[in-house]
Amino acid sequence: MKLLIVEDEAELCNSIVTYLKSESYACEVAHNYASALKKIDSFEYDCILLDIGLPDGNGLKILEELKENNKTDGVIIVSAKNSIDDRIKGLRIGADDYLAKPFHLSELSARVAAIIRRKQFTGNNIVLFNEIAINTLSKEAEVNNQVLDLTKKEYQLLLYFVVNKGKVISKNAIAQHLWGDEASGNFDFIYTHIKNLRKKLHEARCGDYIRAVYGMGYKFTE
Amino acid sequence: MKLQGKYNRATISAAIFVLILGSISYYFILQYILIKEVDDSLMVEEQEIVDHIKTHNTLPEETNYHDQQIHFYPASKPVSRKFLSTYLKDEVEKEFTNSRQLIFPVAVSGRHYMAVVTKSEEETNDMLMLIAALTAGVILLLFFLLFFVNRMLFKKIWKPFYATLAAMKQFNLSNPGRIVLGKSEIDEFNDLNKTVNEMTSKVAKDYESLKTFADNASHEMQTPLAVINSKLDLIIQDQELAEKNMQHLQGIYDAVNKLTRMNQSLLLIAKIENHQFHDERQLRLDSLLNERLQYFEEMIQSKQLKVSAALNKCEVRMNPVLADILLNNLLANAIRHNIPAGKIEIESSGNYLAISNNSGTELLDEKIIFDRFQKSPGSEGLGIGLAIVKQICDFYGFHVAYAFRKQMHAFKVSF
Repeated sequence: MKLLIVEDEAELCNSIVTYLKSESYACEVAHNYASALKKIDSFEYDCILLDIGLPDGNGLKILEELKENNKTDGVIIVSAKNSIDDRIKGLRIGADDYLAKPFHLSELSARVAAIIRRKQFTGNNIVLFNEIAINTLSKEAEVNNQVLDLTKKEYQLLLYFVVNKGKVISKNAIAQHLWGDEASGNFDFIYTHIKNLRKKLHEARCGDYIRAVYGMGYKFTE
Repeated sequence: MKLQGKYNRATISAAIFVLILGSISYYFILQYILIKEVDDSLMVEEQEIVDHIKTHNTLPEETNYHDQQIHFYPASKPVSRKFLSTYLKDEVEKEFTNSRQLIFPVAVSGRHYMAVVTKSEEETNDMLMLIAALTAGVILLLFFLLFFVNRMLFKKIWKPFYATLAAMKQFNLSNPGRIVLGKSEIDEFNDLNKTVNEMTSKVAKDYESLKTFADNASHEMQTPLAVINSKLDLIIQDQELAEKNMQHLQGIYDAVNKLTRMNQSLLLIAKIENHQFHDERQLRLDSLLNERLQYFEEMIQSKQLKVSAALNKCEVRMNPVLADILLNNLLANAIRHNIPAGKIEIESSGNYLAISNNSGTELLDEKIIFDRFQKSPGSEGLGIGLAIVKQICDFYGFHVAYAFRKQMHAFKVSF
């Protein structure tokens, strides 16, 4: 899978590349408008992360360029402005998703994975992890071909874990993913939530893959 | 005190002062002149008597008219000449009148006489009174005329001033339309209007640039926050990390999270102030509330809160994003500040929405509860949620009120 990260902040770019590379994506980087334009002209990407606030031009122009050339690259707009207008404009031009800064890398990774799933010709909407199979179209999870009775948030949490498998996900990132900006304060409710999910997985005779990491977060791993 | 009142008070007291002082001095001056006149005529009489004695060498006949009496009294030696003002009983009319006397010595054939010429001042007094009354009348008339002319003129002259004042009262910083001030005939008011125009446009410009600055600053902060967040996300992947460092990292995460939310809240307030939420729709707040309750379900469960909701149809026209934020903030507040196993009561109806919750705290200060960064001690919130609620309500002209009843904090939004 090949990704292009268009972001002028070098350190943020580094972090993104480091994280996504560890999930075995091939990452290329463009730090400005001009080099981004050059790259999209010459190559095809599975997914492009596009910061629209570039010093030498608006990232939305790059998106327009892509669409004019009928390129099918998936695009996630990243913006420091959590502006509804930008979001609507971006999605109308043809972006697949919109992510406001600051974000967690696990969140970004989940969004990238979702886009790539959607873009694949095979229409691969099943995410697999050992005995767990998650159908992202019907939004159902199965363990050993048995459909789990999950709430909407438990489903989201399981999917989030699976696409970020092997990674430590902070409680903040989980709260942000499930409750958005309203998540705040102590995250006791996450503990309860995860306990419920674990219980349901356990009842379906699924292996226990959720590990707590020093009270700081969780890791979904073999 | 009103300008006109102040002005009237000054002019009226000055006029009264001048009227009294003027009348008094006018009276005395007039009196002095009239006495002088009488004295002159007394001296004419004196001259006539002296002339008479000179030619006839006899005393002239004593007279006793109503307005003039002449008497001679024998004297042992020449009396000194003097003018007198007396108050004498008029022998003719049998009443007391003011009189003026001239006493002077005369001598006929070596015998001394005291000549007394008396002239009644009654006529001059009458004249004096008449003149005084007339003058007072004229002054009074002038005075009233001035008062009414002033009043009318005042209204006309100060009209542009009051127009300016009204325009300034209308001026609203967060929505600064240009103040349009009419031209006046009076230079000072044109000056004032010019200054007001310059000042308001400068204030609006400064406010605008301050807002832009705050806006930009908040936006610029998002990228560094994203960098910190991403670095933390990477650091925690390190399997060698010591547990105590994890705790420090969690502290950083929380701080960054707080900073992020604060930043977003400030941006949100700025956006509401800038009228950047245009899209308005007819929304069912009761169904939105149900959605929000589901959204917060886990948090409610983990605190074991009891929610009782009496939701009746409540339809409001507003921006859907702002409606979500409004309900989120009110609900999040009711959950966050609640005690374990506390209660939340939600009620909605055609024109209002009320959310009440238990809390460890007593009655809160209603005056500051909607201010920014007001929060209860130990609260994990930012103290900005209610400020946003207020901002949204103000934006749509809703009324939001706080009350404390039966150990419950109640927030009620009336549409």
